[in-house]
Amino acid sequence: MAVVRDSVLPADRGRRDARHHHERVRRQIGDHLRSKIGEEDIITAGPEKRIRVPVRGERRYRFVHDRGQGGVGQGEGEVGQGTAPQPGGEPGEPGTEPGEVMYEVVLDLDEVEEILFAELGLPRLKPRRSLEVTSEDVRFDDIARVGPLVDKKATLRQNLLRNAKAGAARVGGIEKDDLRYRSYRETPQPRTQAVVICMMDVSGSMGAREKHVSRLFYYWTVQFFRRQYTRVEVVFVGHTSEAFELDEHEFFTRKESGGTLVSSAYRLAQSIQRDRYPASAWNVYVLHTSDGDNLATDNPGTVALVREHLEVANLVGYLEIASSGLGPRPGRLSTALEAAGVDGLVIAHASDDREIWSALKTIFARDGVAEAVAA
Amino acid sequence: MTLAVQAGLWRRPDYDVADLGELEDICLREAHALGLAPPPVAFHLVPAEVVYDVASRGLPGRYSHWRFGQSYEQMKNDYDRGRSRIYELVVNTRPAHAYLLDGNSLVAQLLVIAHVLGHAVVFEESRYFEPADKGFLPRVRAAAERIDAYMSEVGRTVVEDFVDDCQALATAMPLAQLGKTYEEELSTDAPRRFDELFPDEAAARRRRADEEREAMRRRFPRNPEADVLGFVMKHARGLEDWQRDVIGIVREEQLYFSPQLQTKIIHEGMATWTHNAILQRLLLDSADFVEYQRLNASVTQPHPFSLNPYNVGWAIFRELERIAERPDDDERERWEWAGGGDAIGQILRVIEGYDDVALVSEFLTPKVCQLAKLYAWEHDARDARRLVISSREAEEVRTSLLAGIVNGGLPTVEIVDADHAGRGELLLAHRAEGVGLDAEYAKGTLAHLARLWGKPVVASSVAGDGSPVWYRAAPDGAPETLTTLDS
Repeated sequence: MAVVRDSVLPADRGRRDARHHHERVRRQIGDHLRSKIGEEDIITAGPEKRIRVPVRGERRYRFVHDRGQGGVGQGEGEVGQGTAPQPGGEPGEPGTEPGEVMYEVVLDLDEVEEILFAELGLPRLKPRRSLEVTSEDVRFDDIARVGPLVDKKATLRQNLLRNAKAGAARVGGIEKDDLRYRSYRETPQPRTQAVVICMMDVSGSMGAREKHVSRLFYYWTVQFFRRQYTRVEVVFVGHTSEAFELDEHEFFTRKESGGTLVSSAYRLAQSIQRDRYPASAWNVYVLHTSDGDNLATDNPGTVALVREHLEVANLVGYLEIASSGLGPRPGRLSTALEAAGVDGLVIAHASDDREIWSALKTIFARDGVAEAVAA
Repeated sequence: MTLAVQAGLWRRPDYDVADLGELEDICLREAHALGLAPPPVAFHLVPAEVVYDVASRGLPGRYSHWRFGQSYEQMKNDYDRGRSRIYELVVNTRPAHAYLLDGNSLVAQLLVIAHVLGHAVVFEESRYFEPADKGFLPRVRAAAERIDAYMSEVGRTVVEDFVDDCQALATAMPLAQLGKTYEEELSTDAPRRFDELFPDEAAARRRRADEEREAMRRRFPRNPEADVLGFVMKHARGLEDWQRDVIGIVREEQLYFSPQLQTKIIHEGMATWTHNAILQRLLLDSADFVEYQRLNASVTQPHPFSLNPYNVGWAIFRELERIAERPDDDERERWEWAGGGDAIGQILRVIEGYDDVALVSEFLTPKVCQLAKLYAWEHDARDARRLVISSREAEEVRTSLLAGIVNGGLPTVEIVDADHAGRGELLLAHRAEGVGLDAEYAKGTLAHLARLWGKPVVASSVAGDGSPVWYRAAPDGAPETLTTLDS
C-alpha cells in the first residue's frame, strides 16, 4: 500500500463533540461556579482570565466485578510490600473505591458569567420612552444610481446588460449611465440603557470584610447589567453622615470617620438621577450596601426616600453585610426597612463572601421575570 | 490498538509521505524476510486532531457523542502539554487503515509502521478475527449519518442519553457472539421428509417441541440469554424505530471491539515483537538506534499494579522464540516443537489459534514472570485502599491474571426471565463464581437497562459475604439493593 497525507475524515469532529461535552458540563458546573464568585482573584485578573473548574465526570456504568479482587503488576518490590492508599478510580482499575472521575474544565470569564447569570433576572421593565430610543444600524447592502462609492461588479453587470440589449453581450465602453453605487440602508435598532447607582456606607464601622463582600457584590451586579443593557452607566455614592459621589477606586478604598446617616446617600442618589438620568430615558437601579448601622432617627426619612426612588426606579435593593452570629438587632437598618413594609424594595443579607451568590439571587430573582412573562 | 509513549522526542520534521512510503517498503521487506505476510495497510499521515478523533471514537467516522468529545479533549490536552502522545492506531478492515501522527520523528514513524504490520498479521491470521467484517467502515459511517438524523429529529440530548443506555449494556455480551445475528433457536414440530419411516423419532421430536412451547409459556427466554442488547432490541415494548436502530448500531460496533478485548496481550505482544524484530535487522546509526531504544523502552515500561500488555506480550513472544530455538530439557519435554528452530512458524500458530486466556494458561511460565517482573497483588486486609504484593510465584500470578482477562475481565450477566413475576419485568442472573458485582455499578447499569426495557429490571448476584443479593431498578426512581426477591 502507500502512505498518504489524508484521512478522508473531517478534522473538526473531535472538537465538535468536545463542545457538546462542554455544553453538558455547563449544566452541572453552576453550583461550583457559584461557590467561586466570592474569590477575589476571579475578578481581578481581567477578562482574559481562565477559570479552572473541577468537574465530576459522569460515570460509565456497566456490569463489573466487585472491587476487592486482586490483580497483577510489574516491577520491583518485595512480597508484602504495599502502596499508599490509592485514590478511587473506575472499578476494575487499580485503586479500590469506585470513586469519582474528576477532571478540569477551563472557562473564560465570559462563559462563567453566561452560566451564572442564566439564573438571575430583572424585574419587569417599566414602560418608558427609553425603549423608543433608537440608533440607526447602517448596512451597505443596497445599490443606487448616485453615491460616493462605485460598485464595480454592479456597474459591469449594468454595462453588460446594456451592451446585450444593443446586440453584443460584452463588457466595454462604460458610460455614466452604467455607473452603480453602493448604498446603505438604515435599520432602526432599539437601544436600551440603564444606570446603576451603587451606594455604600464608607464610615469606620465598615470593616475590610464588609467592603470585600460589597465590592464583589457590585462587581457581579455590574457585570450582570452589562449583559442586560447595551449601555450601562454606574454611579458610586459613598456616605457617612453625609454623602458624596466617588469614582470607582475611591468608592472601594476610601475610609471616612463620622457617623452614619443613610438618608443622605438616598437623597444624593435621587438628585443625581433627576439631573443626569431622567427616568423617561433610563432604566434606573438603586442599590445600597451597609453593615446595617444607621442613626435610628434617620430611618423614617430613609424609608420615605426609598418610596420616592421606587416611583421611578425598576428596582431598589439593599444588601446588609453583617455577621449572622449577631442575629437580628432592632437597631438595624434592614429591620427598620422590613418593618416599614416598602413594596418593591428587595432586602438581602450576607455574612461573608460565600453568601454573595444567594444575595445576588435574592435581589435579581428570576421568578419575578418568569411571572412577568406569564402575566 | 494504541501505542502511547511519553513525549519529549527529538524531531526531524523535514520528511514527506514519499519518505514514509520508503520506510513502509523497508518494513515490508524485512517482515517478509522474517517470514511474516502482513495484509495490505493504508497509512494516513494526519494531524493530531484526526489521530485523537479516531482514537477517542475507536473507529474512524463513528457517530457523534459527547463522551467521545470528552476523551478527545483529555487526550488532546495531554498531547498539547507534552504529557503523552498516541503513536498509532490500526483499524481491522481490508485494507487495514493506520494513522501516523504528523510531526513525529522519522524513527518513531519507522517503529510505528513496523508495529502496525505486527497488528495486521494478527488481524489476518487469528481465528478470533475470522468472522470480522473487513468492509465494516461504510456501515459505521452510514450509522453515524442515521444517528445525526435522529438527533435533528428528536434532539441531541435524547439520542445521546439513549446511546448511553445502550453502551452500559454493550459489554454485557458473550465474546463468542461475534458475527452472529440475534435469533432464538427453537425446536420445530414441522413435518419432515422421512417422518413416516421413523415414527418414533418424529413423535419424540414433536413431544420435545410441545414441552418447549409449554416451558416458553412459563418462562421466556427458554435458555438464559447473554446477548442483552440483542434481546432488548427484539423484545422490548414501546421502543421507537430509531431506538431499535440505535441499539443495533451499538451492538454491532461492540462486536467489532470484542475480539480485540480477547486478544489484547497477543496483539500488543506480536506488534511489539515485530517492531523489535524489524528494527533490529536494520542498520540504524547510533543516534537513531538510541532513539528507537528509548521509544521501545517507554512503550514497554512495566506498570506497577497493572498489566502492560506490550511488555508481557513481548516477553511471551520472545520466550516462544527462544523455546523454538534454544529450549532447556523441561521445555523440550513439554512442547514437541521446542528446539525445532521454526520460531516464526510457532509464533504464527499461536496467533492463529490462541486468545489471551489460552496464551497465558500455556505460556506464562516462571521464566516469563521473571523476565516481566510480574507479581500478584491483593487489597490490604486492614485498609482496602492499600494494594499489597502478595506473590511472585508463577502459579499465583497466572491465576490472578486469568481472573482479570477471562471473558475480557467482565462478569457474565444473563437474562433468565422476560416476564418476571408475571409483570413483564426483566430478571437477570449474574453467574457469580465466587465474586459478586460492584453494587454501585450494577445498580447504575440496571437503571440504564430499565429505561431500555420500559419496565423494572432485577439482577441476582452475591454480596461480599457470599449471601444472595438482588439489584433492582425501575425506569424512573432510584435503584435499590434487595436481600429477598418477591416472585
